[in-house]
Amino acid sequence: MADPTHHFQARPSALRRSESAIFWLFRGATYLVLLCGAVVFLNIFIKGLSTVFQTKAPFVNTTFLTEAPESLYVFEWQGKKMEMGDKEFRVFKERNPAAANVKSESYVYCAGGIFPCIVGTVLLVIGSMTIALTLGVCAAVYLNEYARDGTFIRFVRLAILNLAGVPSIVFGLFGYGMFVIFFGWNTSLLAGWFTLAFMVLPVVITASEESLKAVPKGFREGSLALGATKWQTIRKNVLPYALPGILTSSILGIARVAGETAPIMFTAASVLRTQLPWQGLTRWTDFFFQGVMALPYHIYVVSAKIPQNEYTERVQYGTAFVFLFIVALTAAASIVLRTRLRNRYKW
Amino acid sequence: MASPAPADSAHFIAHKGKFRLFGLTLDTCIKVFFGGNAVVSIIVLALITIFLFREGAGFFGQNRQNLKVYREAGLEYVDFIRAQQDDHTALTRYLSDLRLRQFQHFTQHQHLTPAAANAALAGFDEFAGQYGDAVEPLRTLVSDLTEQATAIKERFTVMEDRKTERAQLLAAGKAQAAAEVGITPVDFVAELKPILGTLPAYREASADLAKRLAGIVAAAPAMPTPELQARLDRFRQLTAEYLAGFPAVARNLETWDYRRPVPATQEFSAFLFGREWVTASFWQDWYGVIPLVAGSLMVSLVALVLAVPLGVGAAIYVNQIASPWEQRLIKPCIEFISAVPSVVLGFFGIAVLGQTLRALSQQTWLAWVPGFPYSERLNILTAGCLLALLAVPTIFTLAEDALNNVPRSFKEASFALGATRLQTVMRIIVPASLSGIISAVLLGFGRVIGETMVVLLCAGNRIAIPDFTAGLAVITQPVHTMTGIIAQEMGEVVQGSIHYRALFVVGILLFFLSLAINYAAQHIVRRYRISIG
Amino acid sequence: MESTAPAPAITLRPLSAPAAIPAAPGSAVAPAGETLIDIDHVDFFYGAVQALHDISLHIEHKKVTAFIGPSGCGKSTLLRCFNRMNDLIDGTRVASGTIKIRGIDIHRPDVDVIELRKRVGMVFQKSNPFPKSIYENITYGLKLQGVNNAARLDEVVEKSLRGAALWNEVKDRLHTSGLGLSGGQQQRLCIARAIAVEPEIILMDEPCSALDPVATAKVEELIQSLRERYTIVIVTHNMQQAARCSDSTAFFYMGKLIEYAPTRDIFMNPASPQTEAYVSGRFG
Ligand SMILES: Nc1ncnc2c1ncn2[C@@H]1O[C@H](COP(=O)(O)OP(=O)(O)OP(=O)(O)O)[C@@H](O)[C@H]1O
Ligand SMILES: [Mg+2]
Repeated sequence: MADPTHHFQARPSALRRSESAIFWLFRGATYLVLLCGAVVFLNIFIKGLSTVFQTKAPFVNTTFLTEAPESLYVFEWQGKKMEMGDKEFRVFKERNPAAANVKSESYVYCAGGIFPCIVGTVLLVIGSMTIALTLGVCAAVYLNEYARDGTFIRFVRLAILNLAGVPSIVFGLFGYGMFVIFFGWNTSLLAGWFTLAFMVLPVVITASEESLKAVPKGFREGSLALGATKWQTIRKNVLPYALPGILTSSILGIARVAGETAPIMFTAASVLRTQLPWQGLTRWTDFFFQGVMALPYHIYVVSAKIPQNEYTERVQYGTAFVFLFIVALTAAASIVLRTRLRNRYKW
Repeated sequence: MASPAPADSAHFIAHKGKFRLFGLTLDTCIKVFFGGNAVVSIIVLALITIFLFREGAGFFGQNRQNLKVYREAGLEYVDFIRAQQDDHTALTRYLSDLRLRQFQHFTQHQHLTPAAANAALAGFDEFAGQYGDAVEPLRTLVSDLTEQATAIKERFTVMEDRKTERAQLLAAGKAQAAAEVGITPVDFVAELKPILGTLPAYREASADLAKRLAGIVAAAPAMPTPELQARLDRFRQLTAEYLAGFPAVARNLETWDYRRPVPATQEFSAFLFGREWVTASFWQDWYGVIPLVAGSLMVSLVALVLAVPLGVGAAIYVNQIASPWEQRLIKPCIEFISAVPSVVLGFFGIAVLGQTLRALSQQTWLAWVPGFPYSERLNILTAGCLLALLAVPTIFTLAEDALNNVPRSFKEASFALGATRLQTVMRIIVPASLSGIISAVLLGFGRVIGETMVVLLCAGNRIAIPDFTAGLAVITQPVHTMTGIIAQEMGEVVQGSIHYRALFVVGILLFFLSLAINYAAQHIVRRYRISIG
Repeated sequence: MESTAPAPAITLRPLSAPAAIPAAPGSAVAPAGETLIDIDHVDFFYGAVQALHDISLHIEHKKVTAFIGPSGCGKSTLLRCFNRMNDLIDGTRVASGTIKIRGIDIHRPDVDVIELRKRVGMVFQKSNPFPKSIYENITYGLKLQGVNNAARLDEVVEKSLRGAALWNEVKDRLHTSGLGLSGGQQQRLCIARAIAVEPEIILMDEPCSALDPVATAKVEELIQSLRERYTIVIVTHNMQQAARCSDSTAFFYMGKLIEYAPTRDIFMNPASPQTEAYVSGRFG
């Protein structure tokens, strides 16, 4: 500090000022994005909390989480305004014969819960991910372990790349044309499974290939040099080390499958089924050929297809909360697991 | 240890009798199995194409039939006159607008009470009333003709249905029942005669209208201000132009021939360049995809305008400027945003963003923004904002990758020459990764244009080409989109109907659009990657 | 067996050279002894690039043969030909010539590559233990062959680890990960893994290049002890190592075999000026 005018003296200049201004601009852009995301999350979480949780024990709104959607009946009874779900209302009328002809207003979907939707979404995810993982992992094994570069492989890769860009609604149309109509499966769990599976297939293949690539070449050479066959090498010395990575990245696929509405709209989703998928089946095969309720489709229905009133918001936010919670949980799990994995497997 | 090759040690000669299936060894079988799975991706792509075409292909034939009936049943003929009537309606709307302006002038500048203002406008009202009533004869004619043409079309449709019924019966082997289905082909010549016979009546009505309008306009009352007077003059001019178009209409009617064939190209052009998408109409269905494409593009454009600076900016920030802990924090957060299901975002748009933006638009201090204030809660802007939030993670992730791939040495070399951080980023890093960033933007575009739920819920779903004459304010108009229309109408259409097939053709369009975008993105990456060295 | 001090690096100490050395210097044929691997006019291609030009040499039974030469001259390529590891690389082919092991052409269509690789073990430049326990690493090859008898596996593990001079160091931690060993230990583990399947030939591609001098000395010692039971072919960049360990040495340059002779001759009395320049460190 003794000599303030030495050769390398830092001087404030217009350049520096504009540089830091521009950096602040970039920083602003970044945090704006995060802020927008946070606003969406917080809005849904805060408003959803009041539906899903309650102040009385057991604090969780079990009706909402464990029952099927019902119509809400609102009526005046002995000077009080009553709100009752369909079933409850019927019981109430039986108990109070005087109430048989009470004038009530009904609001569709506004009572009960979303249990069938949760079950439907879980079923859709399990089935489609099973199919997609089987196909995808095998395809990735082929591409990474067996395939030698050639026209055919180029075509396969091109197909995968392009498949990844096809809009989900087109998958929906395709599933409708092929499974629902051509195969005659109608709107069914099975049609939804295949449609969703084909949709996430590129995600699963890419993720699996990446994990397979991360397994060092030395493991394969070492094993082959000991006289293992290719399949023995893959089974014992490649897949076990790639599997955690494959599964982790595939959780992102789960988030995608669970979150998509367009592909299941006309292949698997039904507007209302009060029975759970395993109830009321005449034959066990019917299980696969029934439509199911699903969370994303339910959100669509309650927020766009039914008349809006003061009671719909409750169920809208509640459903969105549960749905977002499930999807966010899987996505977060995948992201956390992936960073963990990256640190753990260093060979 | 006997010399060279002891016979017993030829171990590595393959043993016979190993496991074989169709002459393949176990390892080959396994390979074929895995290969088969890899082929699935090609098969799926092929199947998508096949099934989209299988369901969609019939559309063009049906559309041709649709257009043919439009002509043969005389609907086209009637529409000539109807257009004339509609133009008149547009002119009366101009007059109402003019009245509103005068009213405002009277109340705001001359401080008249509304009643007094209305009284002052009595002369104008009379003028406007006369102008509006002048079209009455023509309107009567149109509504008569409409009824007749609809009846012809109806008869034709019934006959077509019977034909299908008979064909089905025949296919089922019930020749007896099939013969009982009576089919009397519609005799278009005879049916059309009454319609064509109205030509003299039309001429009369039209001439009468022309005369009356000319007279009415000539006697228009004077306007209170020069500015309004200019508008009235403009109106006079428009009316003159309108009247000048009458002979052309008459000529069209005279030369109109129901037998003129519908050219084969029209079934395609009517779809690709058709400006109207009208379905389930009592009069005539139109399957023109332009309003939907325009809607999709407008929404995507707004989304990209918002998302590109944010996404690329965030990528540059995180990759080049942010501190390591910020990087570790921000990257997963943005990835996390990409996991938000689009239907939730759509719901957020309906429940929160729509109102918020509209309320914002009605603030006086924001009145300078084009299109503000607006009243439609769900419009291009709402959907675009939400789609931007969807596109940002895609663009961010890919652009960040591209930036990451720039060799460290570039950066170091630039710093060594005394460049500042900003100079290095802007002149070295960004240009070097430009191809990657552009392809990121393209893929973001693909993501946005293929998105369904957000636009279905938040774009307003009005099937019309946005009014581009409004300038930038166009973004506050509601539109419908390609994806949205499929999602909305697919559930309600009759399977196999022309409407059903039209939706599949929209799907085909979307499919190839996404392939093209994908291809372009890959091409750019491949083509320009080498140029960095 | 253990803990002899590493030999001073400067002296050339030909080890147990064959009693009779009738080989004519400069000729690319075998010195005396039983021929185990017989390479006859081999040309090898990576796609369109020829990596080996007309190589002929005989590798003797139960001897240590060293391959030396500047980087990129094709040593690894030739070595990987012996167990057909090059098959794994796309577009490679032996364009002409034959490689015979015990008189059998290993490219014959009825040769089972898997069997071949069981007979011809390999140790890689970068040690590559599997991320399994030490015990599993060693038994991996045997289990592939269907050996599941625990007693037999234990016995083999001990024998191989003793053979690889690793037993004393790891006998208490057989079930810990092989990746937890030091670099030199890992490389010896790889050697143990290779000898566990009882190959006839062990190919070593620069086994010591990633090791420090002490670990290198241990591996060299190991090679000395293995020579009694196995035929060893070793690629090395370390001239002293070649001199210390091998019986015969082949010098390659630009994909060609320049000279093949007993090690002592290569170092003391090279026939080719190129060899001389290389071994005396004047190029390369
Ligand atoms: N996979 C490959 N594809 C194409 N060319 C290759 C491949 N591997 C090696 N080569 C080429 O073949 C030649 C011989 O390579 P090789 O690996 O056998 O050399 P080397 O003598 O083992 O060298 P080093 O001492 O560096 O290990 C080199 O010119 C190399 O570039
Ligand atoms: Mg090498």
